[in-house]
Amino acid sequence: MYLSISIDVPDGDKNGFAGLVRQTDRIEKAKADFVILARELSKGRLAPGRVEAVVTLPWITGRLVTPVVAAAIPALHSVPFHIARALSAADFLSSGRAAWMPLLAGGERFDNAYGAGYRLASAEQPAKYADFIRATRALWDSWDQDALIINPGSGAYLDSAKVRRVDYRGPYFTTMGPLNAARPPQGYPLLLRDLDDLLHSGVAADVVLASPDRLAQADKGAVRLVKVTVETLDASLGLVRDGKADGLHLMGANALDMLESLRSWVVPPPYLGATARERLGLRRPINPHSQKGAA
Amino acid sequence: MSRENGRLHLWAFLQGIGFFPGGWRAPDASPRAVFQREYYEHVARLVDDACFDAIVFGDQLQGRDAAGRTPSRLAIPTLDPFTLLSVMAGVTRHVGLVATVSTTYNEPAEVAAKFAALNMVSQGRAGWNIVTTVHPNSPWNFGAPDLLEKSLRYDRAKAFVDAAEVFWRDAAGMDDPHRQAGLHNRWFDIDGTLDFPTAPQYRPVLVQAGQSPDGRNFAAQTAEAIFCPAPTIEAGRDYRDDIRERARGFGRDPDGILIMPGLAFILGSTEEEAQRKHALMLELADDGLCIEYLSESIGYDLTRHPAEGPFPLEQICAECEFPAGDVRRMLAPAAESGQSIADFCRAYARKPRGHAIFVGTPDQLADRMETWIDAGACDGFTLQPGYMPTELELFCAHVVPLLQARGLLRRQYQGTTLRDHLAVGAGA
Repeated sequence: MYLSISIDVPDGDKNGFAGLVRQTDRIEKAKADFVILARELSKGRLAPGRVEAVVTLPWITGRLVTPVVAAAIPALHSVPFHIARALSAADFLSSGRAAWMPLLAGGERFDNAYGAGYRLASAEQPAKYADFIRATRALWDSWDQDALIINPGSGAYLDSAKVRRVDYRGPYFTTMGPLNAARPPQGYPLLLRDLDDLLHSGVAADVVLASPDRLAQADKGAVRLVKVTVETLDASLGLVRDGKADGLHLMGANALDMLESLRSWVVPPPYLGATARERLGLRRPINPHSQKGAA
Repeated sequence: MSRENGRLHLWAFLQGIGFFPGGWRAPDASPRAVFQREYYEHVARLVDDACFDAIVFGDQLQGRDAAGRTPSRLAIPTLDPFTLLSVMAGVTRHVGLVATVSTTYNEPAEVAAKFAALNMVSQGRAGWNIVTTVHPNSPWNFGAPDLLEKSLRYDRAKAFVDAAEVFWRDAAGMDDPHRQAGLHNRWFDIDGTLDFPTAPQYRPVLVQAGQSPDGRNFAAQTAEAIFCPAPTIEAGRDYRDDIRERARGFGRDPDGILIMPGLAFILGSTEEEAQRKHALMLELADDGLCIEYLSESIGYDLTRHPAEGPFPLEQICAECEFPAGDVRRMLAPAAESGQSIADFCRAYARKPRGHAIFVGTPDQLADRMETWIDAGACDGFTLQPGYMPTELELFCAHVVPLLQARGLLRRQYQGTTLRDHLAVGAGA
C-alpha cells in the first residue's frame, strides 16, 4: 500500500521556508511513497501550490530522497516547451523520480495574474488540458532515449538521427521542437491526475487520485490513490484491502501525523527498478518516432 | 560594505561542459556527469567555498539543430537553469544563483512565481539575467510565427520586468494592501497577484547583457549587474564608462551597477603547460565539430557539403535560418577567396563568442584581474572555465587564495543575500 501526501506553504505564511523544511524532513523520515507539491482546496480538490512547484521540485528532491515527487501545474496557463524542458532536467537530477500533475483548479487566481486572454469556458478546459499534455510529451519524443553517445575518444556526442523536429499542431498549442533537453530517464515523467479535478481525459494518467466515490472510474492500469482524511481512514483502508485502491493520499490538517502513524505498521513496498516508473511496474512510454519503436 | 566585500567580484558561468566546444573530450572532463545531481552539488560547493558572488546559467529557447539536423559532435547538455540552481540552493549557504530567462516567450506571472520560489529555497540568493529572444527558431516552439522586431522586444522586456515587480512587491507587502495589485499596458493585462511566499531579498537581483544601444539603455535603466564581452582593457573601460554615463542619464547611481565582462581561462602551473592545454582544447575541436559549430550559428547544415570545398554562398543565403544579410557578411570573404569550409570553421571555433580568453599561470591571471580592476575596466569577471570541472577546480584552489591575499576578493561572505554580495544597495 502506497502512502502519498501533499506539501505547500500555508496561506498567510509570508516566508514559509522554515516550515517547509520541517514538513519536508518529517515526510522524508516517515518515508512517503508520493509527495505532491500542491495545495488542498476545500472538498478535497488539489490546486497548484503557493510556492511554484517546478522550481521547488529539484530542491526538495535533495531532501526527499526516496519518494516520487510531483509538481502540481496550472494546465491552462503553462507552456509545453518550458514544462518539457524543466521536467527533463528534474527527472535527470532526481534519478527518474519526477512527476507532474496538471490541474484545472485554481483557475480564477491564474486568469487574473496571467491576463484575461487566458480565460477559457469550462466546457473547453478539458480539451486544452489534454492538448497541453500531448504537446509536452511530443517534445519529449523529439529525442530517443538512447540519442546520447558521449564518446570522448571518437568525438561522437549524439546520434543526429535520434533527435528531430516534431512539429506538433494541436487545437491550443503548436510547437516545433526539437526540445533542447534530452528525453527524461522515465521517457515521460509520471503523469498524475486528480479525478476530482477532471474525471475523464483523452490522455490516460499513470497515477490517479480520487475521492472514494470516483475511484472506480480510474484510468485502466493506473496506480489508484484514494484521498483520505482522519475521518475517512477506516473506510478507505477497506478499499485498499479489497483491491479497489493501491494506496492512500493523506489530506487535511492531520495528514502528516497520519502518515507517521500509518508508517508504524505499513511497510514501504520493496523498491526494485531504477526509476519511479519501473518501481511502480508502469511500462516505459513508446516513442512513436524511434526507429526501434521501444526507445 | 564595499571594501569588506573586496574590490573584485567573481561570477561563475558554468554552462554545460565549459567554454571550449572541444572541452568535453578532454581526458579529465566529465561529460556524462553533467546529467547527474552530484556534479552540480560538487561545483556549487566549490564556488560557495571560494566566495564568488554568484553562479550563472544561460538559456536558449530552441534546440541546437541547424535546419532540423542536431549536431553529433557538439556537447549540448543544456539543462534548464532553474532546475540546476534549485539543486544548487540545497547544498550552498551564500552563493547567488542567477537564471537566464527570456521576456519574449514567457508570462510575468510565471516568471515572478519561479523567481520567488528560487529566492525562497535559497533564502534570498536569486538573480535574473534578463534576456530577449533573438534566435529565429525559437518562435516556432511557442506557436508564434515570427520574432518580435528588435525595438518591440526591449519595449516588452521593460514592461515585463515592471509587471514581475508588481508580483514581488505585493508578495512582500510593500504596497498598499487595500489596493488590488495589477498592471495594464500594451503588453500585459494583470488583475491580481499570486500570493506566493517571499524571501529576505524581496526580488531577484536584475542582471542584463545589453550590447546594442537599445540593450544598453535597458541595462542602464534596470540592471544591478551587467555581462559583456570585453576583449581588451580599453574595450572594457569604454563599455563601463558608457553604461555609467547612461545610468546617470536615467537618474541612477552608476555605482549601483557592476560591470562583469566574460573571461574564459585555461590554467597551467607553468605558462608552457597552460599553452599545451590550450592547444589540446583546439585540437579536440576537430573539423567535424567546428563545421557543426558554425552550422548552428547560421542555421544552415554545412555537413551536407564537402569539408575541403568552398562555401556555396548563394545556396546558404537562400536557405539559412538566421538573417541572410548577416550570414552573407560573415561568409562572403571566405567564399570569394575560395577558403575551404573546414579552414574557415576551424578559425571560427577557436575563439568562441568573442570573449577574452586567458591562458597562463594562476599568478598571471591574478595580475591580469588586478590590472583590469585598477584601470576601471570592470568591477569583476564572469568566469568561464575552459572545460569542466577541472579548470574551475584549479581556479578555486590556486587563483582564489592569491586574490584574497592581495585583498581583492573577500575571505568570507559579508551577508547572506546575493544583493549583499554585490554591495550595490537595497534594490528598487
